[in-house]
Amino acid sequence: MSVWFTSLAVLLLITLAGALIRVWRGPAPADRMMAAQLAGTGGVAVILLLAAATKNWLMLDVALVLALLAAFAAVGFVKAASRNGVGDPEADEEAAP
Amino acid sequence: MVKVIIILKRTVVFSVLWVVLAGADKSALIAGVPTVLAAVLLSLTLLPAQRHSAKLLHLLAMLPGFLWRSLLGGVDVAWRAFSPRLPISPGWVEFETELPMGGARSALGGEFSLMPGTLVAGSRGNALLIHCLDASEDTRHFVKTEEQRLCRALGIKPKVTIA
Amino acid sequence: MITDALTIVLTGTGLIFFVAGTVGLLRFPDTHSRLHALTKADNLGLGLVIAGLMVQVPSPLDAGKLVLVWALAILAAGTTAQLVARSALKKGQSAPDDEGMQ
Repeated sequence: MSVWFTSLAVLLLITLAGALIRVWRGPAPADRMMAAQLAGTGGVAVILLLAAATKNWLMLDVALVLALLAAFAAVGFVKAASRNGVGDPEADEEAAP
Repeated sequence: MVKVIIILKRTVVFSVLWVVLAGADKSALIAGVPTVLAAVLLSLTLLPAQRHSAKLLHLLAMLPGFLWRSLLGGVDVAWRAFSPRLPISPGWVEFETELPMGGARSALGGEFSLMPGTLVAGSRGNALLIHCLDASEDTRHFVKTEEQRLCRALGIKPKVTIA
Repeated sequence: MITDALTIVLTGTGLIFFVAGTVGLLRFPDTHSRLHALTKADNLGLGLVIAGLMVQVPSPLDAGKLVLVWALAILAAGTTAQLVARSALKKGQSAPDDEGMQ
């Protein structure tokens, strides 16, 4: 089983590398952010598979934290993209003339 | 009284979370008591206890349907991605919602971002902006039924009922 | 033996959906369509991997932790998809007005 989990993790990493093409080409900032999010979700899956491969289940905590951080990364992106940095696009739009 | 029940409910939820995270041995529980209390206090600041609060059982009843449709959503988008013809014709639908601004509307938006073919991009006034992978499908009707179901689960009375 | 077979089927299918997410991200023509692929396919992929591992973990608490990872991923996906979609909209890429609103 360990071999299966490890090879699956490697294939998953290759898939994530494919998404990096989108980071490179863009064109929009959101496109690049999406590829980064994919690395977040995929990274969680890779950690879980490696945890299963090594039977080191303490790595579940690492996966949990990465899942949390990936969510915050996206929120940070949206906040940084808004004009005043507050990060509510809808409030932003209403304030605009 | 309603407030007390809500505080109790949250305490139970956070306690279960703590046990899952830290295990059930004695030292973990000692650290857990202040943590859970702090979490409950923080949650009361961020999301004050209200009279019309979410009904946990209703939400749980929605869970199987939600899981099934998010599975369909994944299969649908995977099929479109792999198909050589790339069968998508993206378009936008505006949907007038009765849900109030804030958590309830975000919940509906989040749900529909995982359903087959739909993605919510916030709202303009009272209208949800829904992006559809296939604009020819009848999205409006589907969103309506789901909105009503969520209204009941969240304890919000819909202003108008539409047959 | 049966649990191992179940794990192999579920995690293998999970990988297929991760591949679909990447393929969609690369092939779909506009930002919002790509967001569909990312949000839905990847979450299903992660969900299947987690389901496959559920039968492998030694204790119920670890299984609970797996459920927690997955619940967090779903909540985050639903929320961030909306945020990113909205933010992309504001930047004027494929705005509703340009694309034939129904």
